[in-house]
Amino acid sequence: MAFASKQCPECRAACVIDDEQPPKIREWHFTRLQKRKFKYGFPVWASPAIAIVEGSPMAFFGGYDNTLHALDLAAKQERWFKVTNGPITAPPAVGSVEDIPVVFFGSSDRSVYAHLAYDGTLLWSRELVEPTPTIGQSIVCAPLVQGDTLYVTCFSYDRSFARNDQRGWLFALKKDTGRLLWKVEVSQGPVSSPTGAYVDGKYTVFVAARKGLLSAIDVSQTEPARLWEFQMPHEVMGSPAVLEGDRPMLFLGSKFGNIIALDARTGERIWKRMAGNWIDNTACIGEIGGEPVVFVGSHDYNVYAFKAIDGEFIWRRHLGGEVFSAPAFFYLEGEPALTVASLDNHTYVLNATDGKVTTSYYTGKPIWDTISKGDVLWGSPAVLQAGRQTAVLTGSYNGHFYVLPVYGKSELRAKVRSASSLWIWLIVVAGVFLLVVLPIVIILGPVKSPEKRS
Amino acid sequence: MPEWLSNLLSSVEDFIASLSSNIKLVDKALMGLEGSYVELLTILALGLLAVIPLIVPRKRRQFYRRLNQIFGICIFVFVVFTCLGVFGMIRNLFRGLSEIGRENIVALYYCSVPATIIVTSMIFGPMFCGWICPTGALQEFTGMLTGKWNRRRKREGWRFSRGMLVLVLLVCGVFIAWMAYLSANRVFFVEDASIYWSEVLLIICLLLLWRMKAWDKRLRRLRILSFFIIVAAAIAGMQITSPVHFGFSKVYDPASLLSTVMVGLAALAIPQVWCRYLCPWREAISFASRCSTRKLETDFDKCIECGKCTDVCNVEAVKDGHIDPKECHMCLKCVDICPVDAIELKENWKGKGCGT
Repeated sequence: MAFASKQCPECRAACVIDDEQPPKIREWHFTRLQKRKFKYGFPVWASPAIAIVEGSPMAFFGGYDNTLHALDLAAKQERWFKVTNGPITAPPAVGSVEDIPVVFFGSSDRSVYAHLAYDGTLLWSRELVEPTPTIGQSIVCAPLVQGDTLYVTCFSYDRSFARNDQRGWLFALKKDTGRLLWKVEVSQGPVSSPTGAYVDGKYTVFVAARKGLLSAIDVSQTEPARLWEFQMPHEVMGSPAVLEGDRPMLFLGSKFGNIIALDARTGERIWKRMAGNWIDNTACIGEIGGEPVVFVGSHDYNVYAFKAIDGEFIWRRHLGGEVFSAPAFFYLEGEPALTVASLDNHTYVLNATDGKVTTSYYTGKPIWDTISKGDVLWGSPAVLQAGRQTAVLTGSYNGHFYVLPVYGKSELRAKVRSASSLWIWLIVVAGVFLLVVLPIVIILGPVKSPEKRS
Repeated sequence: MPEWLSNLLSSVEDFIASLSSNIKLVDKALMGLEGSYVELLTILALGLLAVIPLIVPRKRRQFYRRLNQIFGICIFVFVVFTCLGVFGMIRNLFRGLSEIGRENIVALYYCSVPATIIVTSMIFGPMFCGWICPTGALQEFTGMLTGKWNRRRKREGWRFSRGMLVLVLLVCGVFIAWMAYLSANRVFFVEDASIYWSEVLLIICLLLLWRMKAWDKRLRRLRILSFFIIVAAAIAGMQITSPVHFGFSKVYDPASLLSTVMVGLAALAIPQVWCRYLCPWREAISFASRCSTRKLETDFDKCIECGKCTDVCNVEAVKDGHIDPKECHMCLKCVDICPVDAIELKENWKGKGCGT
């Protein structure tokens, strides 16, 4: 059974099916929108989680319709859904309880839910923050499953005069019952999803506060212990990406536009690199030629690739809009590849070695653009890596969740212009203008001058 | 391409990109409506810019007009986050109208700028073109370099000039070389279709080297076609970014930058060439201002037929005192230069004389 990567909540790297004959994955534009005049809020902002459940690939994602959807990708049907009392803005996590796959997810109703992945049976739910008559919606981020524990961050606020308070918490819950083990205040502001790694044999959780404070918390003991803190130069929206190994490292971008590599043991800065604009989502780590590489998208329209160890610049690819998503790394027929979503309304598949666009899909323009860029973390595509059945999965603002095969025909395959087609179109436009438009305009004769009118 | 040249071009592009990416002086809208893109400062700034032409003294009016243009460019490029691109405004108006009743705040945002311009044009005439439009201002400023040359060509009936042919061919060369570089390094989308407008603009410049006198008025019909293409694209959901759009966003937009440079360079050969032949927004403004209260009128009893008004008009809307309101940008240069005050700006609030 393969689960989506637990390394990084916003960067759910490929879920891999090693089977020689994987199930056929067909193109699917899943939507719950009816033919209503007023759209009622299905836009999917959270990244999906992918898992193989009972031999069948499934995708789990939440949206602004307050619902978590579970899609069977092979059967092309929605297997179950769960309605909560608030929008689901962060991706779920898939883990197992007594070897049964379970989906864990948080909702803005301040609660975390655990449902059986196969049929959606409720295992448990836990309210993280005590309600008050004036409490606002909370931001519950993507859970992190590690061993028997579920780590989840939650930001809640109450702006009333009497109870004014806002806090960002890290909670540790018992995975099988949802019982609260402990909670620790990380910041007096929003916090990103937790990520974790073993550092010197101790499992450490890393949480970044919106205000830029990155905390490393040792959770290997009964009580959490803060190891170190690092202040980023500006606001942070994404989670740190972790590179495990002899020298564990963290990579985190900020709205100052830089990406910083830190030593996960000490929190010391190893290198930093600058992009032209915000890096508000999580970085992603892949491997090219045996070397770890960090990929990150920026609001300067570029995707960047740096060597993870020393930050050496490898390539960058300019796309048509702000790269708001975290990249997801996977392999296409053995070749490293990357998928990212951009505000030019396209989702791309890039060659991770040189950044060239392999294919792209038109995944729609936002229907809700009243929310400013940079206020919330937008969703990222994920990949089901299954040989010739490999597919990119992405939720869109236009009320659709897309399953897009990388090979074969796809209705949404975008006609991003190659160099040759660009020149062909320039010639076509010149030809149409000179042979059709111009003669018509000339034949129509002179325009009346004002003298003749008078 | 040799590696050193490629590296040099990449460095130049990186420099331009870094300028574009840090172009705004503020991180977020200064007077933003909470939780939205709606920037109230845009409407305020545009309103102020539209009022200035009404209040400036006649003496040194052209100085204030240029100041207004520069101020408009500065505030929209460096401070506010709203695009004043000619394609974008048509698209935004359509988008805003379609959002009314569903997302009224979004509707307000998208409609605010085009509606302000249309309404001020309906009341006060096409002042936007002559006093605010950044695309028009760009052409006017670059056109100053060849202004004397072009005025002489105009007086001579736009005869063929070898010097101008060399200039236009040079501009075409820049366009082709730039396209070659971009096509090897960039991904292009429907949004980047402004490069086709640039291409057509250069073709027009080439053709008019020989046929300016005969085809000038006829080719102005292309604005209608341009308008309908942009409207059709807006209905189809295609977002074609305008020339100068790159100046209003915080990111580097190579196709828009290329189009902007081409519009500026083409204006060296033919004054206000974009406004004359391809600007779709000009067509909309021209239509909206048909019944405006402010109009230019010529007193032919006073006119001494000196030809100065014909000489000074960049868009050839004035000929020997006869003013074509469909083409006039209301820059008031003809009013200011007239030695006998034969051309006057008159107000008519009774709604008489629509379209004349």
